[in-house]
Amino acid sequence: MIKHHPTFELLQSYVNGELPASLAIGVSIHAELCAECQKTIALLTEQVAEQAFEAETDVSVNEIDTNDEVVDDIFELMMQEITASDQYDEVIEVAPRNVTFRGDTFELPTALSNVDIGYSANIGKLSRSRIKLDENEIHTNLLHINPGGGVPSHTHKGFELTVLLDGSFSDDQGEYTKGDFIMLNGEHTHSPISVNGCLCYTVANDALHFTHGINKLLNPIGNFIY
Amino acid sequence: MATTQSKLPINHSHVKPITMNKEIDHKQLSEWLQAVADKRCKVSFTHLFKFFSPKIQRIAKSKFPNECQANEVVQDTMNNVWRKAHLFDASKGAATTWIYTIMRNITFDHLRKIQSNREDNLSDDIWPMVESVQNEEDTFEDHLQSKQLLRVIETLPDAQKDVLKGFYLLEMSQEQLATHLNLPLGTIKSRLRLALAKLKVQLGEDND
Repeated sequence: MIKHHPTFELLQSYVNGELPASLAIGVSIHAELCAECQKTIALLTEQVAEQAFEAETDVSVNEIDTNDEVVDDIFELMMQEITASDQYDEVIEVAPRNVTFRGDTFELPTALSNVDIGYSANIGKLSRSRIKLDENEIHTNLLHINPGGGVPSHTHKGFELTVLLDGSFSDDQGEYTKGDFIMLNGEHTHSPISVNGCLCYTVANDALHFTHGINKLLNPIGNFIY
Repeated sequence: MATTQSKLPINHSHVKPITMNKEIDHKQLSEWLQAVADKRCKVSFTHLFKFFSPKIQRIAKSKFPNECQANEVVQDTMNNVWRKAHLFDASKGAATTWIYTIMRNITFDHLRKIQSNREDNLSDDIWPMVESVQNEEDTFEDHLQSKQLLRVIETLPDAQKDVLKGFYLLEMSQEQLATHLNLPLGTIKSRLRLALAKLKVQLGEDND
């Protein structure tokens, strides 16, 4: 059972197309598995569309006076170009995309069908592949944890989003399952452990910061995962 | 508000009366789109183009630094409407919703090109085609009751329907709704009151 969902504000920004690709993909992965959020998204989209195409009132009078003919010409030309061909766009059914970590193969969600995924690198029981979205300080990864592995107690200066794609993990807040959407910020400290192994989609805008004793020596892992 | 206080000597009594919140004729839009899909009807497409293009252009201008880029969004969106019209399913939602998603996706891909220099066109993977709300066959706490409630809500006028859906189904606050729908709080409150009064009558009758 999915227990962790995006906030209403996040869903709204997703519908508005205002999120960076990394977070929009995260919401999309969750929604593909969560009927409840799908429903909210559908309703919000309907409302936002209505709003976008309803307002007839805020066109400034000046703009119309000066630009009307030019705009008409541009629009006329566009229309001719578009309708010049009667062809329809074909819809191509794409086979699901797979990814393999240490011999295990996983089917990726639709939102990751065409992203640019790098080679995987391993440290201990952790493997990660970068998803190359080129969003500056926002880094996106696929993170695979082998059974019995985990990430030592850490905190974040920025935010860390984890969407569970397969398997499960737990921290002091409880157990997380496939589809859970877990958004953490600098106030949270946690040390997730995966008994049976898992694959996660992660987005962070700063390196992880390890907090406890000897684990501080592990801070290079923070950079590895970020 | 976006209305610029014009310093030009405009005599307001000459200005055409502006109707607030002009109702969208969804049935008409749907029929045009269907005609474009079935018969490649250029007259219908012209109607759609005239309705949507200025609005898309206005929205795009607020997101892109120059007019040329805004016009590209108009062109690409309307091009998709023409070439993908056969994928529109009127039973699954309004034409406005369908065209909005096309515009949103085009805008997203264009912005990514500018901001991240990426031409990966991810939008169609991130936002798969919107399915209608009514098709949901998932179990909710009180399935029968909510189904009946939804049916009754559908009979309300659009203005009241939006407010009611937002308030009860999306659990938005009245303040959030006011911002979201760009309406005064008072209007939200009175619409909610009206809608509830009607629901009470309808549900009461059905339960007899």
